Amino acid sequence: MAIKAFTDEWTDQLKDEVNKSSVYKAAAKGWKWTVGLVVEAEPDKNFPESRGLVMDLFDGDARGIKLGSAADAQKCDFVITAPYSRWKQVSKLELDATRGMLQGKLKLKGDLPTIVRYTKASQELTLCTSRIPTEWPDEQ
Amino acid sequence: MAGRAVEAAARELGVVEYASKEPSAFAEMLGGLIGANVGARSEKKRDFDTLVARVGIWVTDIEEGVTLDFNAGKLTIYNGLEPGRKITIRAEADTVLRLTNLKIGPFGMPAYYDEVGREIASKLLRGKLKIDGMLTNVATLNRVTRIFSVQ
Repeated sequence: MAIKAFTDEWTDQLKDEVNKSSVYKAAAKGWKWTVGLVVEAEPDKNFPESRGLVMDLFDGDARGIKLGSAADAQKCDFVITAPYSRWKQVSKLELDATRGMLQGKLKLKGDLPTIVRYTKASQELTLCTSRIPTEWPDEQ
Repeated sequence: MAGRAVEAAARELGVVEYASKEPSAFAEMLGGLIGANVGARSEKKRDFDTLVARVGIWVTDIEEGVTLDFNAGKLTIYNGLEPGRKITIRAEADTVLRLTNLKIGPFGMPAYYDEVGREIASKLLRGKLKIDGMLTNVATLNRVTRIFSVQ
């Protein structure tokens, strides 16, 4: 059954997917920073308020992935910001996250030399989101 | 976070500037990366301070590129490919970022024996990574690789 995007249930499912991924576990070995995803509001897409995902990722494990406010996500060591519809594209694998960042479609804040060491891990995170059967607000 | 301090130090060094008032996201990303590397590592700063060359990078899957104009301790980044380049690297976004993960081996040469190195070498052989000017500018390419590398 599909889970509503960017809800508590969805972030729990994402945590499970990340922890199931042996690819992520290997690629993120040594990672010890928090990651915040800011999902900007798009009222015309039935996503009226910005939300934040706070990801506590440590050494290949997802210790916690919680839904919060955009401000919560902005406190993380690395922050990636994009409007709702861009995140939907990323999750549906219609937009490659690496390309998106180079094109400025996803805005990254944080130490670049650190994050480029973990491009494989971030790609796998994207794949984890794509594995969640998701109900999108603008498709309801 | 230590990384933020490094970025701040790089900004203070003022070694990277942008030719355009509106640098592309890719230009800013490369500028941030090189600035942080040079600010954090003395061996990269030495390379940076002696490098004089124009290097182009074209990201084939987003059809965007930049020209890095290294001028002995200063870097000016142009949106797009400018004339007078010694070297031009053409690859997909993922490969360009993988290049920054090349380890530097003995004698300051990029190491092609580990997973990332083998992947890069394989892409070169298969034409997925093209480097114009590589054969005639090996020393410059090695220096640029050392400045890029986050390893």
